[in-house]
Amino acid sequence: MTSIQPGPESGTNPPLRPARPAPESVQPSWAGALRQELFASRTDGLVSVLLIMVILAAVAGLMRWALAQAQWAVIQTNTSLFAIGRYPVQQQWRLWLLVVLVAALSGVSWGLLRAFPRADRSGEIWPFNDRLAVALLGFLAAWLPAALALGLPLQLRWWLITALLVTMRWLAGHWGRSLPSRLVKLVPLSWPLLYLLGMILIAGGLGFPRVPPSEWGGLLLTLLMASFAILLSFPIGVVVALGRRSSLPLLRWSSVLYIEFIRGAPLITLLFLGQNILGYMLPGGWAPDRVWRAAWVLTFFCGAYLAEAVRAGLSAVPPGQLEAARSLGLSMPLALQRVVLPQALRIALPAAVGQFISLLQDTTLLSLIGLLDLLGTARTVMANPEFLGKNAEVYLTLAVLFWCCCAALGLGSRALERRLDPTHSPV
Amino acid sequence: MIEARGVQKWYPNGFHALRGVDLSVSKGEVVVIMGPSGSGKSTFIRTFNALEEFQEGSISVDGIALSNDLRNIDAIRCDTGMVFQQFNLFPHLTVLENLSLAPVVVRKRRRSEVETQAMALLERVGIAEQASKYPGQLSGGQQQRVAIARSLCMEPRILLFDEPTSALDPEMVGEVLEVMRGLAADGMTMVVVTHEMGFAREVAHRVVLMSEGQIVEEAAPETFFTNPQHERSRQFLAQIL
Repeated sequence: MTSIQPGPESGTNPPLRPARPAPESVQPSWAGALRQELFASRTDGLVSVLLIMVILAAVAGLMRWALAQAQWAVIQTNTSLFAIGRYPVQQQWRLWLLVVLVAALSGVSWGLLRAFPRADRSGEIWPFNDRLAVALLGFLAAWLPAALALGLPLQLRWWLITALLVTMRWLAGHWGRSLPSRLVKLVPLSWPLLYLLGMILIAGGLGFPRVPPSEWGGLLLTLLMASFAILLSFPIGVVVALGRRSSLPLLRWSSVLYIEFIRGAPLITLLFLGQNILGYMLPGGWAPDRVWRAAWVLTFFCGAYLAEAVRAGLSAVPPGQLEAARSLGLSMPLALQRVVLPQALRIALPAAVGQFISLLQDTTLLSLIGLLDLLGTARTVMANPEFLGKNAEVYLTLAVLFWCCCAALGLGSRALERRLDPTHSPV
Repeated sequence: MIEARGVQKWYPNGFHALRGVDLSVSKGEVVVIMGPSGSGKSTFIRTFNALEEFQEGSISVDGIALSNDLRNIDAIRCDTGMVFQQFNLFPHLTVLENLSLAPVVVRKRRRSEVETQAMALLERVGIAEQASKYPGQLSGGQQQRVAIARSLCMEPRILLFDEPTSALDPEMVGEVLEVMRGLAADGMTMVVVTHEMGFAREVAHRVVLMSEGQIVEEAAPETFFTNPQHERSRQFLAQIL
């Protein structure tokens, strides 16, 4: 074959030029990069200075209002209402237990996602951003309970929960690598299990006294609805996406019909429709009251959009992958499960998380059908004569709360995406 | 090992891709299929493990008749390795996992035992040190050698190659052909669709030229390259030499 060995006369050739280090403009220092980014030319500098002034002015105005004029008593008095609605006081220990479990599992997941980026490469245990996040968490744990004027025992609980989260992050970061991979693979599975346990803790059953859905509210109801829809819409999305590509016409048509029906109607319409007809469509006991009917509507709504994301992921996997799997003797279900879906779902992940984030925000529509989610709770609080005119304080709090939840989802998905990337390179 | 009789295939758009093809391959034989693009050679080789359906005729592989019975198809696929032009390695699995996936989930063999065998195969194709890397981190030639090792890990009785070197940079063709030569020397039954004249001349027991969905010439390599009988063969050889 063709030979790339140098011929005998190559000794007389001049030597090739060796590599040189890159000049300053390719790998600038920190200050150099800032100068390049913001003040490269006169126009750039002008725009930068103007924008910095506008941003500073806006932030200063907001801070002046938040610190001097705003009256935060409306939040401080109603903290518990915003957090859990009218959940009975003597059963609240169940929610605390759930928060503790969620914090512990979050810490473990965080550590596993971030502390060893690849199975074959030893990653840094505390990347810079993670240290930043821990500092932020510490600040929030110290400041927020005090700002909300919680009693000392409550403040202490939040400190302990934050400490637990960081400790689990630390433990998983240091020793997660030495765990057998079978055990590590249980962690994603433990989230749905924790969800089931959480449902039992919240709703009662298995010996716990029942707390009816009408007494759930605030952030608790919002997160519960969103996580219910996210967890259940995932299998729906995968099945419908596969159905849409199926060779069985009936399966394909019903998948298309489902997707197009859901995507063709505004969520609020579906929510009202669901309140009226879901009782007839689902088996008895699945949707006994308004809260569960709304939860199912959110689930089916999210499932249709998710199916489209998964379908895009499936189309992005080259057909050769399925052919290779089949030619090795894998049956269709095995080939999908082991070869096609892992790749398709990783591709679909960013779109799916975008869908989950908008679903979380869409839960505010629940207030329009009379449920006391975060927005619904806020509206009842603002309707209270005692807190008339305190809309800005309430809405700002809501916005920040939603922003925190969505940011957490986004950060988690990006970490997961990188963790699942086989070569750690942008695709 | 392979008996194809009067195979006819039409694509859904009505194109008559295979127009009555007969071929028999005996055990330990290396058959090279050549032909211009669109002549149906890839389609033909893909019917052997049912990646393509055919409408008329019959194919039996290793004594099992290809029918629509799914169990037959899976049995044939387990015994018939296929190497693709685009490698088709599984990018989300390491090299070692690529090799061990099918033996573990299809043949239900013990993972540790399969991995020992997989390492031996990687040794044989010369890339044992890359076992824990991902396919995206390897060169094209290395990927194709992994793909060959992946097929071998199922201990197939027949290997099908669908233009295994066509997607490779020229300097990587040699390493893949080297592995294929070794397999042929070990007595593996192989059907190879390729344009590599050197390989066909040196390794093949028989060269088959396809054109417009049929076999126009079937001969020993020395006869085929020096004294082709058919006008189309002469045209084809004139174009590629």
